Amino acid sequence: MAGLDIFLQNIANGVLMGGVYALIGIGLTLVFGVMRTINFAHGDFVVLGMYSAVLFNALLGWDPYLSLLLAMPIGFFAGVIVERFILSRVIDAPPESALLATLGISLIIGNAILLTFGGEPRSVQVSYASSTFSIAGVNVSMVLLLAGIATVIMIAALYALLNRTEVGRAIRGTAENRLGAELVGIDTRRIHSIVFGLGVMLAVMAGVTLIPLLFATPTNTGAVFTLKAFVVTVLGGLGNVGAAIAGGILLGVVEVLGASYFMSEYREAYGLIAFLLILLFRPEGLLGRTVKRV
Amino acid sequence: MTKHLIGLGVLLAVGMAYPAIFPNNLTIAISVLLFAGWATSWDLLGGWNGQVSLGHASFVGLGAYFVAIGEGQFGLAPWWTMAMAAAVAAVLAYFWGWLTFSLRGPYFSLSTIAVAEILRLVAINEEWLSGGATGVFIATLPEPFGIDLFSRTAQFYMALAFATVVIATVIVISRVRFGYQLRAVREDEDSAMAAGIDPTATKLKAFMLSAALTSIGGGIYGIVLAFIEPHVIFALLLSVQIALTAIIGGRGTIWGPAVGAIVLIGAGEMFRTTFAEANMLIYGILILVVVLFVPRGIVGELARRHIRRLYAKRAQG
Repeated sequence: MAGLDIFLQNIANGVLMGGVYALIGIGLTLVFGVMRTINFAHGDFVVLGMYSAVLFNALLGWDPYLSLLLAMPIGFFAGVIVERFILSRVIDAPPESALLATLGISLIIGNAILLTFGGEPRSVQVSYASSTFSIAGVNVSMVLLLAGIATVIMIAALYALLNRTEVGRAIRGTAENRLGAELVGIDTRRIHSIVFGLGVMLAVMAGVTLIPLLFATPTNTGAVFTLKAFVVTVLGGLGNVGAAIAGGILLGVVEVLGASYFMSEYREAYGLIAFLLILLFRPEGLLGRTVKRV
Repeated sequence: MTKHLIGLGVLLAVGMAYPAIFPNNLTIAISVLLFAGWATSWDLLGGWNGQVSLGHASFVGLGAYFVAIGEGQFGLAPWWTMAMAAAVAAVLAYFWGWLTFSLRGPYFSLSTIAVAEILRLVAINEEWLSGGATGVFIATLPEPFGIDLFSRTAQFYMALAFATVVIATVIVISRVRFGYQLRAVREDEDSAMAAGIDPTATKLKAFMLSAALTSIGGGIYGIVLAFIEPHVIFALLLSVQIALTAIIGGRGTIWGPAVGAIVLIGAGEMFRTTFAEANMLIYGILILVVVLFVPRGIVGELARRHIRRLYAKRAQG
C-alpha cells in the first residue's frame, strides 16, 4: 500500500501548496473582477509583503504573523495611493494602458527593493519553519497549514464583506456594471480605490505568510508570483473570488502530481500547460458561469 | 516611403562611420542596434497589429542557441544557423499564434508569458539539447574573408545590418497592402473581417515575420555574448524590455522603436553607476510616464504635433 500512501501524501502537499497559491490569487481576481485590469504588479506586492516581514523582524524582532497587524493596513493604504495617482487615470484608456501601468509599477517595486535590500535572498528564521505533524500517516507542514488557515479566514472575511456589508454591495454593483452603479449613486472611483487597496493588502498578507517558508529575492520572485496568481485565477475563473480556491488547489495538485509521477524538473511547466489548456478550451475558467471573452 | 528609405540610408552611412569615430564605445552601440532591431520586429506584431507579446525573448534565445549549438556541435557557420533559426522561429510562431490568437487583449499577453516560460524550462532542463542551466559557450567561429567575428567592430556591423534590414522591412510594409491589413485588424477585428480581411491569418503572418526577424538578432546577440545562459536570454525581463522599448518609443511608428532603444539604452548607461543592477527602474518610471502623459510614445507624440502644426498652417492659408 506504499503507492497509496505516497499518493495521499502528494495530494496533501498539493492541497496545502494550493492554499498558498489561492491566497496569492484572490487579490488578483478581486481586482480584475471589479476593475477589469490585470495587475502585473501583484506578485511584486507579495514580495513587498515578504520584505516587510523581514524588516519588522530585523527592526522590532517581531514574528512574521505578528507583523501582519502592521503590514496589512500599510498594504491597503499603499494600494489606495497607487490606484488614486496612477490607475484611476487610465481607467477609461484602452485596456492595455492599465496593463502597461501595472507592469511599470511592478518594475519600480522590484527594482526599488533591489536598491534598498540588495540582491541576496532574505528570510525570517522562525522555530516552527520546518516542523511537521502527521495525520493518519500523512505529514503536514506547519507553515503551509497556517497559510492554508489564513486563506480560509481571508476568503470567509472577503465573502462576508462582499455579501453582508454596504461597501460589499457597492463593490459587487461596480463589478457588474460600472455605469449602472454610478446611476444608483455609488462612487465607483472610491470603490476602485478600496478594491485595489484590498488586492494589495491580500498580496502583502500572502507574502508575510510565506516568508517562513520561502526566501525573498527582489526581482524574479515577483514575476513568478504574478504568473502563479494568473494561473490560479484563470484556472478558477477570472473575477470569481471563490473559484480562486479551486484554482489554487488545482494548481498545487497538478504541480505536485506532475512532479512526482512524470518529470520533476518540469514542475513549474505543468501548471502553465494546464493554464494554456484552460485559456484555450474554457476561458471562463473551470467554475466560471458567465462567458466573458475579453 | 522613399523619404523614410532615404533617411534610413543616411543613418546607415553615418552608422558605417561610427566605429572609426568612437572605437571605444562599440558595445553600447551594439546594444542600441540590437534593441532597435528587436523592438522594431516586436512592433510589427505589437504596434502595427496591436497584439502585445510578452514572450519575444524566446526568439532571441532561439537565435542565440542555434548559432552556439550549430557552431559547437555541428560546425555550422553562423549565417546558416541564423537562417535556420529564422525558419524555426517562424514555424514556432505559427503554432504559438495558432494556439493563442483566438484569445484577445490581456489573455493573449498572458498566454505569451506562459509559452515563453515553458520554452525557458525546456532550455534549462534538456541538457542534451541546450547545455542545461549552465549554458553554452561559443569557442570558435569561422572567419569569412578574414574577418574576425569575435571583434566588436565586426559585431557592430552585423548589428547595424540587422537593424537596417528590420527597419527597411517595416518601412516597406507600412506602405503595402499587408501593412494596411495589419492596421485594420488592430483597429477593429470585426470591421476588418467585414472588409474581407482574415484577422487570424494577418496576425499569424505578422507574428511569423516578427519572430523570424527577432531570432536573427538573437543569433547576433549570441555571437556578441559568446556565452549563452538560459536564465539570461530566455528571461521574462528581456521580453518586457523589448516590448517597453517599442511602446516608450512609439507603437506603430516606423522610427519609434529605434528611438526608444536609443533613449532607454542611453538612460540605462547614464544611470548605470547610480542604480547598478536595478537598471530596469528606468523602464518602470518611463513606461508610467508614457502611459499617463504621452500614450502614443515619443515618436507618436511628435508625429501628432507635427500633423497638427501642418493643419494649423493650412487652415491659416
